[in-house]
Amino acid sequence: MTEPTASPLHLELRKRILEKFPKAKFTSYSSIAGDGAADGLRLAYGKYVETRHELTRASVIVSLDADFLGEGPESVRAMRQFAGGRLPGAPMNRLYVVEPALTVTGMSADHRLRLRAGDVAGFALALAAELGRRPGFAQLAAIASGGHGLTAGDPKWISAVASDLIKHRGQSLLLAGRRQSAAVHAVVAALNAALDNVGTTVTYATPLLADPLSGPKSLAPLAEEIAAGQVDTLVITAYNPAYTAPADLKFDKLLARVPNSIYRAMYEDETAAVASYVVPAAHALESWGDARATDGTISIVQPLISPLWGGHSDVELLSAFLGEGDLGDYEVLRRSWAAKQATVPGATGEFDQIWEKWVGDGVIVGTETAPEAALTLDGSAIQQGLGALLAAAPKGAGVEIAFVSDYKVADGRFANSAWLQELPDPVHKITWDNAALISPAMAKSLGVEVERDNDKFSVLVIEYKDRRVHAPALIAPGHADDSITLALGYGRTGSESVASGVGFNAGVLRGSDAPWFDRGAQVSLATGMHLFGLTQNHWSMENREPAIATSLAEFENPRSEARELLEERRAALPTIHEPHDYSKEQYKWGMAIDLGKCTGCSTCIVACQSENNIPTVGREQVVRGREMQWLRVDRYYSGELEDPEVIVQPLACVHCETAPCEYVCPVNATVHSDEGLNEMVYNRCVGTRYCSNNCPYKVRRFNFLDFTSETPAVRRLGMNPEVTVRSRGVMEKCTYCVQRIERKRIDTRVAGRLIEDGELKTACQQSCPAGAIEFGNLNDLKSRVTKAQADERRYDLLHELGTRPRTAYLARVRNLNPELAKG
Amino acid sequence: MASTATSASTTRDPLEPIPLIEGAQTDESLNSSLLNHVWRSPGKGWWALFGLALAGLGLLVIGITVTLWKGIGMWGNNIPVGWAFGIINFVWWIGIGHAGTLISAILLLLQQKWRTSINRFAEAMTLFAVICALLFPLIHTGRPWFALYWLMPYPSVQGIWPQFKSPLVWDVFAVSTYFTISLLFWFLGLIPDLASLRDSSKKPLQKTIYGLLALGWRGSGRHWAEYKWAYLLLAGLSTPLVLSVHTIVSFDFAVSILPGWHTTVFPPYFVAGAVFSGFAMVVTWMVPARQFLGLKHVVTLKHLENMNKVILATGLMVGYGYAMEHFIAWYSGSQYEFEEFFKVRMRGPLAPVYWLMMFCNVVVPNIFWSKKARTSLLIMWVAALLVNVGMWCERFTIIATSLHRDFLPSKWELYAPTWVDWSIYIGTIGLFSTLFLLFLKFVPAVAVTEVKELRHEMAHQAHGHAEEAHG
Repeated sequence: MTEPTASPLHLELRKRILEKFPKAKFTSYSSIAGDGAADGLRLAYGKYVETRHELTRASVIVSLDADFLGEGPESVRAMRQFAGGRLPGAPMNRLYVVEPALTVTGMSADHRLRLRAGDVAGFALALAAELGRRPGFAQLAAIASGGHGLTAGDPKWISAVASDLIKHRGQSLLLAGRRQSAAVHAVVAALNAALDNVGTTVTYATPLLADPLSGPKSLAPLAEEIAAGQVDTLVITAYNPAYTAPADLKFDKLLARVPNSIYRAMYEDETAAVASYVVPAAHALESWGDARATDGTISIVQPLISPLWGGHSDVELLSAFLGEGDLGDYEVLRRSWAAKQATVPGATGEFDQIWEKWVGDGVIVGTETAPEAALTLDGSAIQQGLGALLAAAPKGAGVEIAFVSDYKVADGRFANSAWLQELPDPVHKITWDNAALISPAMAKSLGVEVERDNDKFSVLVIEYKDRRVHAPALIAPGHADDSITLALGYGRTGSESVASGVGFNAGVLRGSDAPWFDRGAQVSLATGMHLFGLTQNHWSMENREPAIATSLAEFENPRSEARELLEERRAALPTIHEPHDYSKEQYKWGMAIDLGKCTGCSTCIVACQSENNIPTVGREQVVRGREMQWLRVDRYYSGELEDPEVIVQPLACVHCETAPCEYVCPVNATVHSDEGLNEMVYNRCVGTRYCSNNCPYKVRRFNFLDFTSETPAVRRLGMNPEVTVRSRGVMEKCTYCVQRIERKRIDTRVAGRLIEDGELKTACQQSCPAGAIEFGNLNDLKSRVTKAQADERRYDLLHELGTRPRTAYLARVRNLNPELAKG
Repeated sequence: MASTATSASTTRDPLEPIPLIEGAQTDESLNSSLLNHVWRSPGKGWWALFGLALAGLGLLVIGITVTLWKGIGMWGNNIPVGWAFGIINFVWWIGIGHAGTLISAILLLLQQKWRTSINRFAEAMTLFAVICALLFPLIHTGRPWFALYWLMPYPSVQGIWPQFKSPLVWDVFAVSTYFTISLLFWFLGLIPDLASLRDSSKKPLQKTIYGLLALGWRGSGRHWAEYKWAYLLLAGLSTPLVLSVHTIVSFDFAVSILPGWHTTVFPPYFVAGAVFSGFAMVVTWMVPARQFLGLKHVVTLKHLENMNKVILATGLMVGYGYAMEHFIAWYSGSQYEFEEFFKVRMRGPLAPVYWLMMFCNVVVPNIFWSKKARTSLLIMWVAALLVNVGMWCERFTIIATSLHRDFLPSKWELYAPTWVDWSIYIGTIGLFSTLFLLFLKFVPAVAVTEVKELRHEMAHQAHGHAEEAHG
């Protein structure tokens, strides 16, 4: 039982094991893999294929419950490609999102339609039917008729989307989410085909994964065999099935009945508790292996460190069955590739040299697989198949429960990372918890109470079939009504030091027949309230518009209110100070953050935490408002809370030219550098916190307690040696990664030149998949940051205070469909 | 008629129906009655109060120990509310300290006779209140072991000076000067009384201690002449301090850019508030003290009424300050200012504290328009207590409420104090009470010398009346 994988080495080992043990079987399993896509595309194209998206060519993107910017192996590339099409001036893409709960993708949408997860199928059919009524799409009409009139969504909205799609025929893209059924995926495939998108924005390729199906449903056959006593030995390298498997399978009980179960585990989790043997796993960063990217490119995976605790990689475990267990993963991998050298295009010559190059590059260039060229969509198969699929799909009345893979801990596999537990959820800003996300209207009808400062909510009892769970409610603006979104991966009962006891286990409601969503849940209020560790309790911008969003039409009109606001917020303010002349300095550091590109994914926060040795403080301290992350991503809702517009805004110290923090510090612990950095002198700080009080951006963080001195020795290995670890009672904040500036300064001085644009990146900038952050030298007129700061969308945050921040923002421009634009 | 009613008084002023010294007092009777509470062994009541005060002091010790051991995280402070109980209590105690200096210095310069019986008492309160206040700036820092001396300007080997632009450095000068002058002033005033104590001591040890403290005072004409000069000079030095200390404390806020802090009305409004709270504290303690220490004949209703008048006057100034803050918040046209005052304070989650402040500081003092209220011990005591509460709420509103919702709504965060916050706050009340009870035990609570002097002056003035009455 393994994780879904495309690793060539894994496939090879699997083949050899099956040769040696003919009765053995392999099952790929991940509780958060979706099965709908594979089945849906098989229906459409007659065989299993994998979808690849090319967002750079897409002018109109319609996501049907697909969080393609927020999750999945393609999300990083998708985000970069998507963000590239968000600049006014160049042709902009337009994103429509249909989903129940706000996601990273939904927050980035130009138009968003909230629908229960179960109604997305109806929306897909309605869209197909709507297109079918337009000339040239008769096939879609026929396919839609297979849906027997199932429909959902606002007809006006659907009609506008349909028109927009037709207008951008061949440059549009529809995506279906992994939670969605095969029916939805089939209809979406048909839509893409009918809109001539296949071959441009979407291509299909032979599956790279070992098994096409690996979602929760794929576990049922194995469960049956175990129940029938047909499994003698079960080797598990997949993540924690006793915890993640659908509740009705009672997999933990089944596992206990397998005579020999061997579990390779990172932690003593729920599965380890019932397995016969536990093999300590080496971390991915401690293991050799190989992998394939979604386009097929092969990657040689190199460890960063030899296993600290003597763990074993899955390669080692699998090769043990071939009698090669003590070769070590490096040797197994190298031998495998030495034998396969001839199969790799262009790999001629001595293997040692080639191998060095592969390992050094990380990838084997030229190994991507080509998409399938000659595929024809079988419309009638979809039309006929739909009926059966939709009949089997969950339906019925009542409240819908919909599960999501958590943004931070996924299905629980990352739950033992304090960085991730403390990372605010990109949308709801929850730390150290999960919640039952419900719409404001549903909260009202249930009588959910909100206490304190919008961070203490009623607890719900959710009953579904014979299963029930207590889950604290959290009001989620923009959520579909009569639907509850539940994040998986919490409520852990293993002995993991960080993960156990955090949140509730939504998985106990999950059934193998409807692993992602189903209606028919009973919801009532439980007694008691739950206090969340939210890092942002306030949704509204209170008419202060710290994050500016405007429409393309508004932006293109130079006399619009939005343009006036932007002008006003970047105009020079009168000052009684003689501004410092930086022109004589070699560098004048500055940053620009493009709100049009930022999706709110929050990768930057963890990158910053890692780079700058920022401690985690734990749930209780977050509740008290003492989280330490230097960088935060603010998320504001505007308009109706039922269906709000959302904007996100990353915010760290903006390095004010006239910094309010500096003049109030009694001991000179925060001072200005010659190059315009607002510097924090940790060893001089006595911790009066006056600087933070006077900081209008509230980006300073204080070590209220001793968060660092008890760091175990092994964790200190993970600290950045170039950054001071701060002690109790000291203020800290973003430094613009001053250690990186100094490192580059030393390197370039040795080389006798200046730091060039682009060779110096802050941690947040380096990790941003969207490329929303630019940093560099404002004295260099050709630098990217200088150009970004000269953009027409540029404005300064809290400009009216005259702080003259070095970090500038670029307003977000929404590419609204005039047919749907409000007002 | 008049003669029979005033037959017992030597000091009655026909224009002042309530006398400043009651009864037919002589130097001897004043000596024995005013030093009595020092010589007699403490009663059960004193011990009970002292026990209570020590319990409070214990809380302070626990609170400070926990804070130093674990860090400021044991308090309720967070980001954005970087300052809360620590600075609230600091400002509150400093404010309370203002009555003493005002009574001692300004009223002396204005030759107000009624200050005589209460100045010692009020000065002691100043001193103890400043001691309580001084604790906070130190323990509220993240690293007090450095804050202790890095805020002082000394030629350090690090070559770094304090940052003189920071109001916190100004605070160091203002408050330490205030403490020093208050201590000297109080001690100087005590010298003749310490000599009286030395002279009436019965035990050798007492005699030695009081003798040392009396600095060889013999009551010679030259001593008196020098003493009077020194006292007057110190009064002159103290007078600007009454205005400057709270002005500078108010700069901690006024100099910042935070809505609710960034206010030019702060200096006068803080000084008025300080005097307001200081007098309220004196009344709070004086009402029971005159009862239990047998000082009713020298601290008369006249004194209390005068203090209540000051409370009324300064209360009105404070009310005016509030009105101005709100007016300017609207008139400035700044959205942040307006919303801070009219939304956050009035309707935010911490609004109850704001409304309690308004009630205690704006509504309650107006009861003193009525003479009946001004001269009713119960009413004045309750009102003074409420003013103390109100002034604490004012500092809470200015500091915590302003901070918890400032410019960017994303970083608005609720503030709630912890048990450590409360135990330190209650603990300083314990410290104050402990010091005060010790003061009452070992030093005359009323400036005996000055009361005697006043009696002589008044007897001189009232000579004619007295003759008539006795005749």
